[in-house]
Amino acid sequence: MSRRLDTEHLTPGDEVSREIEHHLSEATERLIDDGWEPAAAREEAERRFGMDHRPGLVRLVKRRKTMRKVESALDSFRRGGANLVRTLRRNPGFGLAVAATLALGIGANAAMFSMVDRLLLRPPAHLTDADELRLVRVERETGVYTTLTYPDFDDLRAHPGLAGVAGYSHQRELTLGSGAEAVDVAARLVSHEFFGLLGVPARFGRTFAPDDDRIDAPGTVVLSEELWQRAFGADPSVLGSDVRIAGRDWTVIGVAPEGFTGVALDRVDLWLPLQPAQYRLLDGNDGWRTARQWWWMAAVARLSDGVTDDAASAEATRLHQNARSEGRDERYTDTALRMSPLRAAMGSEAALRVVRWLAGVSLVVLLIACANVANLLLARGVRKRREIAVRLALGVSRRRLIAEQVFESVGLAAIGGVLAVALAYWGAPAMQRVLLPEVYFPDAGLNDRVLLFAVLASLLAGVLAGLGPALQGARADLGGDLGAAGRGGSGRRSRVRGALAVAQASLSVVLLVGAGLFVKSLANVRGLDLGLDVDRLASASLEFETSGLTTEERNAVFERAARRVAELPGVEAVTLTSAPLQWSFATSLRIPGIDSIPRLPSGGPYYHAVAPGYHGVVGLRVLRGRGFEPTDDQGGAPVAIVSRTMAETTWPDGDPLGACLIVGNDNEICRTVVGVVEDASRGDLQEEPFQAYYMPLGQVDFEAQAVYARAEDPGAVVGPMAAALRGFDASVRFARSETLREVLDPQARSWTLGATMFTVFGLLALVVASIGLYSLLAFEVAERTRELGIRSALGARQSRLLGNVLVQGTRLAVGGVALGLLVAWIAGPYARELLFEVSPRDPGVLVGVAAVLLMVAGLASLVPGLRATRVDPNVALRAE
Amino acid sequence: MPPSHLGPVQGTLELVVLKALSAGGEMHGFAILDWIRERTNDELVIEDGALYHALYRMQDRGWLESGWGTSEKGRRAKYYAMTRAGEAALRDEADRWERYVEAVARLTPDEVGG
Repeated sequence: MSRRLDTEHLTPGDEVSREIEHHLSEATERLIDDGWEPAAAREEAERRFGMDHRPGLVRLVKRRKTMRKVESALDSFRRGGANLVRTLRRNPGFGLAVAATLALGIGANAAMFSMVDRLLLRPPAHLTDADELRLVRVERETGVYTTLTYPDFDDLRAHPGLAGVAGYSHQRELTLGSGAEAVDVAARLVSHEFFGLLGVPARFGRTFAPDDDRIDAPGTVVLSEELWQRAFGADPSVLGSDVRIAGRDWTVIGVAPEGFTGVALDRVDLWLPLQPAQYRLLDGNDGWRTARQWWWMAAVARLSDGVTDDAASAEATRLHQNARSEGRDERYTDTALRMSPLRAAMGSEAALRVVRWLAGVSLVVLLIACANVANLLLARGVRKRREIAVRLALGVSRRRLIAEQVFESVGLAAIGGVLAVALAYWGAPAMQRVLLPEVYFPDAGLNDRVLLFAVLASLLAGVLAGLGPALQGARADLGGDLGAAGRGGSGRRSRVRGALAVAQASLSVVLLVGAGLFVKSLANVRGLDLGLDVDRLASASLEFETSGLTTEERNAVFERAARRVAELPGVEAVTLTSAPLQWSFATSLRIPGIDSIPRLPSGGPYYHAVAPGYHGVVGLRVLRGRGFEPTDDQGGAPVAIVSRTMAETTWPDGDPLGACLIVGNDNEICRTVVGVVEDASRGDLQEEPFQAYYMPLGQVDFEAQAVYARAEDPGAVVGPMAAALRGFDASVRFARSETLREVLDPQARSWTLGATMFTVFGLLALVVASIGLYSLLAFEVAERTRELGIRSALGARQSRLLGNVLVQGTRLAVGGVALGLLVAWIAGPYARELLFEVSPRDPGVLVGVAAVLLMVAGLASLVPGLRATRVDPNVALRAE
Repeated sequence: MPPSHLGPVQGTLELVVLKALSAGGEMHGFAILDWIRERTNDELVIEDGALYHALYRMQDRGWLESGWGTSEKGRRAKYYAMTRAGEAALRDEADRWERYVEAVARLTPDEVGG
């Protein structure tokens, strides 16, 4: 075709119109020549043409254009794929580098996504209409809780605004089986409405009916699918048979669907009916059914049609407060009940926030990885510029070239994505175990949503990384590139690559600053003075076979247990307590001479019945007076010890020593205060000061609950303790032990999460960024071989050449550090609430990170720099 | 002689167009019509719109290629030319037409004289 004008941009309608218009003009002219009037001629021309042909013609053109576009796209796709194969074969190192970088970035994100998905995006498994479920929260001056009393829960059953309500206990650790084969299982006690309210049918058998949830019911249990597989070999005949839990027999009535964990995320092995289970586990104690100070369970509900959260909350609060004022229970009348959506109430606030931040962080890592790949592709684009220039000159459209390049990089990303899935498959469970050990990930966290995410991430990464270089490549400068002097790194290109390197460096800085801040927070948390020597103590609790023991008998067993533990290697001292960490008990307390004991918002005063020498063993300093001694037993005078806060608030001007405490219902026994000790933590890392007092175990009718052992390395002692206590006495069915630090760890979870993840990702980012810097500089050196050779031939000193490269690298690094610190400075305040007693602009961290990055950048510049000095002038000059 | 303008026999429009382009080289739609009218002494009349349909279809089949250019009168017009495939198609179609004519001739009695 000799004449060709570009009409790609015309719409099909326009193209057809123009052609027809031309025809009609010619035809009209011809008619006018024949003598027609112009207007009539035009009309006749149109008539002869047959204008109803037009739509059909337009359709034909449209179809053709579409076909052509599809063909072109397919062709680009094919060529992109062919290019990819060629690249991989000719330059496997390049392909590997790209795929590996992307695999790391995408894999980390996929693993992160699996956790984010579980914690934030998806409701717990198998719940029907999870959005409509409401958790009942209790709002008090001191904070928001989810724990109710049984009477409170029972009242809610009559709440007119609720379509249904179910109660459940917190996680309990119980023994399954007996003797040597006994194992720990995680159990929850649930009211009979539980499964029905959540809309969860049994996978097998049935769930609880109202008859199962009576105090005198025979005792039934629903197993989890996982336990059924693990402990019963998925044997269907287990239905209807009895299993021994916590020393009693329970009949298995059903198996829950796989992965069902109730309304929380921790693993549950079996469900027991609320009333009979609580009754039996407390050895026939049913005070909880009526006691409005016994807080131990939670409730979940659904609203009736048309009822709002606020209305339901108000009504619930009213019921709650009425019941209390009627019962003349003055305490806790200021509490309000609130219906909260399940989502908002799940998981600790801090952990959720950290996970959200971390999702952002892993995205940043992906961006860094993409930047690296883009850099690699840009570099390759520079090498291929001649080939591209030739193809452009031959008439290949730019769009085609760009499409090819993008398809190729998407192909690379796909390979990276496959590797990423493999990485995530292996790495995600490990990450989950380390970071969120109590959350149950039913499918190892790798489900189709995560896979879909990985696919999308790969696609995004491929396009992101490939588009820039593709656009750059297609913008080739024909004249310069085809000429023999097509030298590398045209100004714009190397500036873009430099900018990418700076961006990578700055992102790394931001992540590392985050790491530093979290590590510091974690150290601060670990270093908190909790009064007790938390890192020197291990605790053991006993589960008794029979319920008929008196307090004296129980305590005698505990004393024998303590003596047994004292014999273990590594154990320095032992003691007993009625209130282990995170257990708090209060009872009525009267002090003659003081009309009303000042009440602190934190509740209390809390009492501890402890063995002699307790304070010394756990590391609480005696500030005044003395600690308990063996003489403080049944035969001795009744004594007590108060905590510092109690002393300061109750006797602000006077002296607690010698004061008299009347505890509980003993109206006659006056316990003399003989000492003041420093405050000890109740087990909450961020608690307000509270009042506490101690009494000797031998002088009161309170039961010991735990043996404390002091050791240099409590972790090493935990195992031997449990082993020694299991079956050391006929009345003890099971024993559990853990270090006190382990008890507190879940609360430090968010900082542990932050510290681990930011450090891992920060280091990853640093590695990727330094590889990026290295490759950038190495490439520049290689491209400028000729120039370097000349300079070397002209006598430039080696150190000068080395210095040049180092300066270049340092300049980029400094730019990155500056930008990164700026971002960290600005974003810092938003992260303040995530940190623990660390300023988000902590100078030590900022300076430290800057130093690390500059050092690494220096190292990364060194190798290319050395290479620059070794360029042989002869070889370089001949190369062109 | 009955005054009749012949419409194209079913399926021969394409053959006609190919012949036109073969003889006339690159032409735009109007020129093709003109050429046909001239060569057949106005006997063969083709509806304008139908011609363009045929042109587009033939382009889709790869027998023709088109491009915009400037006519001698200075107007923007779309030109058509035969491709290699079009040349082959011309030979095939012409051959078929010959055979068809021969076959029909053998059927009808040879009365047409004069």
